[in-house]
Amino acid sequence: MNRSLERILPRVQKPARYTGGEYNAVVKDRRKVEVRYALCFPDTYEIGMSNLGVRILYGVMNNLPWCWCERVFAPWGDMEEEMRAEGLPLYGLESGDSIADFDLIGFSLGYEMAYTNVLNMLDLAGLPVRAEERHELSPIIVAGGTCAFNPEPLAPFVDIFSLGEGEDVSVELLELYRKAKGEGWEKEEFLQAAAQIPGLYVPSLYDISYHEDGTVAAITPRDGAPEVVTKRIVQDFNKSYFPVKTIVPSTEITQDKVTLEVFRGCIRGCRFCQAGYAYRPVRSRDPELLVKYGIEACKDSGYQEMTLSSLSTSDYRHLLKLCDGLLEWCEPEKVSLALPSLRADNFSMNLMHRLQHGKKSGLTFAPEAGTQRLRDAINKNVTEEEILQSCRTAFSGGWSSVKLYFMLGLPTETDEDVLGIADLAEKVYQAWRETTPEPRRGVRITVSTSFFVPKPHTAFQWEGQISMEEYQRRVKLLRDNMRGRSISYNWHDPDTSVLEAVFARGDRRVADVIEEAWRNGAKFDSWSEYFDFQRWQDAFASCGLSMDFYAARRRDKDEILPWDMISTGVRKAFLWREREQCYQNKITPDCRKQCTGCGADKLYPGGECDAE
Amino acid sequence: MRNSNRLRFTKAGRAKYISHLDLMRTFQRAFLRAGIEITHTEGFNPHAFVSIPLPLSVGFSSQCEVLEFELRRGAELSEVPGRMNAVLPEGITVQKCYEAVKPVKALTYVNYIVTLEYENGAPFGAETAIRDLLSRESLVVLKKSKKAKSGQVEVDLIPLIAKFTVEGRRDTIALDLIIRAQNPGLNPELIVSAIREHCPEASPDYVAFHRKDVLDAQFQPWE
Ligand code: SF4
Repeated sequence: MNRSLERILPRVQKPARYTGGEYNAVVKDRRKVEVRYALCFPDTYEIGMSNLGVRILYGVMNNLPWCWCERVFAPWGDMEEEMRAEGLPLYGLESGDSIADFDLIGFSLGYEMAYTNVLNMLDLAGLPVRAEERHELSPIIVAGGTCAFNPEPLAPFVDIFSLGEGEDVSVELLELYRKAKGEGWEKEEFLQAAAQIPGLYVPSLYDISYHEDGTVAAITPRDGAPEVVTKRIVQDFNKSYFPVKTIVPSTEITQDKVTLEVFRGCIRGCRFCQAGYAYRPVRSRDPELLVKYGIEACKDSGYQEMTLSSLSTSDYRHLLKLCDGLLEWCEPEKVSLALPSLRADNFSMNLMHRLQHGKKSGLTFAPEAGTQRLRDAINKNVTEEEILQSCRTAFSGGWSSVKLYFMLGLPTETDEDVLGIADLAEKVYQAWRETTPEPRRGVRITVSTSFFVPKPHTAFQWEGQISMEEYQRRVKLLRDNMRGRSISYNWHDPDTSVLEAVFARGDRRVADVIEEAWRNGAKFDSWSEYFDFQRWQDAFASCGLSMDFYAARRRDKDEILPWDMISTGVRKAFLWREREQCYQNKITPDCRKQCTGCGADKLYPGGECDAE
Repeated sequence: MRNSNRLRFTKAGRAKYISHLDLMRTFQRAFLRAGIEITHTEGFNPHAFVSIPLPLSVGFSSQCEVLEFELRRGAELSEVPGRMNAVLPEGITVQKCYEAVKPVKALTYVNYIVTLEYENGAPFGAETAIRDLLSRESLVVLKKSKKAKSGQVEVDLIPLIAKFTVEGRRDTIALDLIIRAQNPGLNPELIVSAIREHCPEASPDYVAFHRKDVLDAQFQPWE
């Protein structure tokens, strides 16, 4: 271990985050590999290690004998301070080597509020944050993940964005790099060649011009870069890599368990949901394969907890078969199985009942909106009766705590919709009174509201976010009408949601604001310990940009959107039609009932969306 | 519940920074990975029952850690070290596995090697100053305490130190200490704080703590 690291570690909190050396961490001989990759997650070790995508890419890249992929997480403030004081640059956990000397540095972007950490990590590595100031072939900065679907706010910092699922395209990129390194290419030559690989967006090859009013006038590709870059998907999900042998952290992380990814995509089409559109089409894994993976992963790791993961687990066609298969092994082995993101239907409730074995942890539903009218408008296809019926089943089975999640500020929301949330909570309470076998134990109903953030590549990508004042008025309205001691109400602080709205639909100019705020100390913006809204307001002011322009403004149908060079496979015209359906309170059937022609099937030649 | 089997293991390198609680979790999982069945706790969340009699401070290395458990099936005691070492994280190595000989309460002393490091060489006279300090009749220091109102209690270190040697080299001074393990035990960090306080000229830039052995009341190895 590095000597300066040894000196620092006794002085920082949770030092085991910074050492590597965990079971199944991949250590290779640095002299025998040709390409070294730093897989960076711009948040803490505990959060980054809980990310399945990181584990998949780590396995895929390390399966290449000539490549060594190492992990890097954002050091917490105390560690950063020590590293800067000691002159210890950001290093890969496996080797302890400085990542500035690696060939590629890739960031996984899961949420916008981590953007400043990307800059901070580049700086901690001793690298210039702007791509134009890095002239050599190494290191190349890559970024992928959900946020890459609007890459523009980070465009000046990143050399290549990888769109969609990374399993295949990462290997193609590494192969190209290996060739470029072997033949001694210039960085520019490499970037131009990378832009020819489907799914890779090289922002420096696109010129963006603006109208006087600040909207985008034109997006012009250069040097043969494609006009539109379409995301990549794994064609055969049954054949795609699953991390059976995966790192077992020696310190507790957020999701300390085996995660079984059941399917990708979602059949539902909730109009606000970026993941629901961006991960289309649905591709699932065979239940037999999943059972095998689950058992092997538990045996290899020693984990005694397993969870199924997907956007909407209840929609998996073979859920019962899968659970039976897993439970047959799990029960005697005393491994617990969790099923998150279940729908509020009877089938799911019964299943949950079976899984919990008398352990009655909280029940969670996300109706998102308080009235049926608004739920129809956002295409959240769940009825009040379904929610209440599920609650009744749960309460009569002995559950005594329910969490209900909603959004405030959804398009077309009126005060009636806001009050509908209080109404629904009250009805859930009545349902408990009617059905509980233990009225003396009482019930806890928790209502939480978040502040709706319009996301790119959704039906609401043209919408304005309501103002902070209006959000607070609606929170107050709801709070004043929420009655009963058994119902508690939490609401999300609006500051970060406004910034999230700015970054989600920002253009390239927003990069200046991010850099300015970071230079003034912004980092870990998703952590209240660090977040400072004033710092961001100052950064916008000094860059001459307005938050409202990005967050609150409603876009026209014909406006060129900053992310128009990126395609998720879902056509813009389809999204617009979905928006219009919203304003008519009309629902769109899910993909299983009827294909409504979003266009994502084109990503899947020869395949069928949501096949049996 | 009683555990009658023990593992003696080394904790070094990157594993030094694994906390006591995380280390127990690591062992519980490692037993499962190795396919060795040990006694479980009862209840909703049954887990392998293991205990570590003398928790080691985070950042210390050790060649004499002991973990207690109860083997049920899946392996002979003699196979356990090999099977476990194949599935433990880097830096944790099981040396041997045996039937407990003496009870935990017989564990009386710990032998620590504390290495004081000096970037510009060990200061002249530091070795003697430290030796004199540890040879005093009494050496009272303040120790953090959750129980005391003031948050601190006074502790006399001298009665807790059974034996010591001090050996100076060019850049380091090594303290070979045999100190009380429990009831009450002594954390060697307190000895270093006392050196910093009473012999500031001998204050090291960096300190490495290493546990070398665990002993019974007769200074014989405790197993
Ligand atoms: S093409 Fe049709 S079935 Fe496939 S994801 Fe789009 S709407 Fe659904």
